[in-house]
Amino acid sequence: MAERPAKSPIAGHLVYRHNRITRLTHWISGLALIILFMSGLQIFNAHPYLYWGSTSDPDKAFLSIAASQDDGDVRGFVDLYGRKIDTTGFLGVQQGVFGPFARAFPSWLTVPGYYSLAAGRRWHFFFGWLFAISGVVYLIYNLAVGHIRKFLFTLRDAKSVPAMTAYYLHIRKTSPQQGEYNPLQKMAYTGVFVILAPLILLSGMAMSPQLNIAFHWLPALFGGRQSARTVHFILAFGFLFFFLGHLFMVLTQGFLNNMRSMTSGWYKEKVPVVIESTAQASPPEAAPVSSKQEAEKINEAES
Amino acid sequence: MKLNRKLSRRNLLIGGLQAASLVVLSGCEKMFDSLSQNKNVQSLLELAENGSRRAQRLLTRRNKLAKEFEAKDISPKFRANGNPPPITMDYTTDAQNHWTRWRLEVSGLVKQPASFSLADLQAMPSRTQITRHDCVEGWSVIGKWKGVRLEEIINRVQPATDARYVVFRCMDTDSDGLNYFESIDMIDAVHPQTILAYELNDRPLPIDNGAPLRLRVENQLGYKHAKYIRALEFVSSLDKIGQGKGGYWEDQGYEWYAGI
Repeated sequence: MAERPAKSPIAGHLVYRHNRITRLTHWISGLALIILFMSGLQIFNAHPYLYWGSTSDPDKAFLSIAASQDDGDVRGFVDLYGRKIDTTGFLGVQQGVFGPFARAFPSWLTVPGYYSLAAGRRWHFFFGWLFAISGVVYLIYNLAVGHIRKFLFTLRDAKSVPAMTAYYLHIRKTSPQQGEYNPLQKMAYTGVFVILAPLILLSGMAMSPQLNIAFHWLPALFGGRQSARTVHFILAFGFLFFFLGHLFMVLTQGFLNNMRSMTSGWYKEKVPVVIESTAQASPPEAAPVSSKQEAEKINEAES
Repeated sequence: MKLNRKLSRRNLLIGGLQAASLVVLSGCEKMFDSLSQNKNVQSLLELAENGSRRAQRLLTRRNKLAKEFEAKDISPKFRANGNPPPITMDYTTDAQNHWTRWRLEVSGLVKQPASFSLADLQAMPSRTQITRHDCVEGWSVIGKWKGVRLEEIINRVQPATDARYVVFRCMDTDSDGLNYFESIDMIDAVHPQTILAYELNDRPLPIDNGAPLRLRVENQLGYKHAKYIRALEFVSSLDKIGQGKGGYWEDQGYEWYAGI
């Protein structure tokens, strides 16, 4: 094991980027999120109204998705704070075998496709457990091996956000990236792990009558049960936003390389990475260079 | 010409992508539809129900109370849901006569089977609570309930040691003539806020909300709160009740444990 200079690995070399637990929980929670989102829309369809507060007085909904009939022409509407937006063809109304029928989110967006609150709930709670468990496993393991701090967004990162944005927009030629994750990546992942995931779990649990008894503060945290339901709904679209951004980045920033790193763990470096200490690990192919102590640790653990 | 070909190739590509995504989407929809009707998949998903019940009960101190609200929080209208009220002659005439003929029959695995009139129940110690009602559909209303604690009835009829559930037999029926029924276990039955309510918002229980008697079980969703109750039955197992799932909605796929 020869000592390596601090500025390594060289571009083009393989590094062990994602440990086994990260890869496993990534795919489990990814699948869970898709099903949670779609079964969540199925559940929402049972009462396509959103409110703030504890209760749901019918005339106090700030958002509703409904169909209305005008001269035999059935049209779908989203009503947001009194502003009616015609969404025929997507939200509020759907074409069926027997003509148009009222349906908030269309069947191609829900799990199952046919209307069934009971089935939607079964999918939702099973994958809710799976999502929570895989999240906890991920967190405990990666806190223990020190992986989390590599992408924890700090004040220092905040300063280089504009530079990184400029780099992505091709305004700036060089990347301000230091370490494995760039500031925008850190912002996205920290947002998901510290804000989005905990809050979506808490707002979901705040809707459970039994947990409302166990923890009176839980619905109060969001301003009442209906507010918790609204927050849960909004955060779900936060996840959708992250998911689409994530997908876009994976597809445009070297799809095969990204897929290799999230399946086998090995990622081909594009830019030299500054790292504090180095160590060599036994790689699965050829003779790539591993940069991390962590990689060695994990390889030991896995062999 | 060249530009045209490029454009048409691009159109072809976009059209292809659209077609592919449609196929994928409708394929996904069909897959989830068939998985939702697959018995093995569904019994796997149902594992979550037991997990939820155990975990949530572990987190809740026994007999801890649901939040009770103040009079100012009461919703202007207590929304009614589910089957329409019973329309039999017996029911409607008795409703007009202030329930002089109605009786609550208590039977099953009990040492002292009993039958109570509404006046009997009203003469027992009562409990009043302003609580939030959460429907499985997603809406919530707050109402003030007055009734007799179910534990009060339990103490009078003395269930046998193998009695594990209370089944609620109801007078309302669906469009197929099937009677509503529900069940809770003894842990929830003796909870201090589990009451058989005969008053809503300081008035006799309205017909829409389950007159003359309905259940309040504050740790669970609305469909557990049986309305139009006519009898209680103490049983050791739910296998022979309805289709064996313990309730009208449960037989149609909803969870028996509705604390979530």
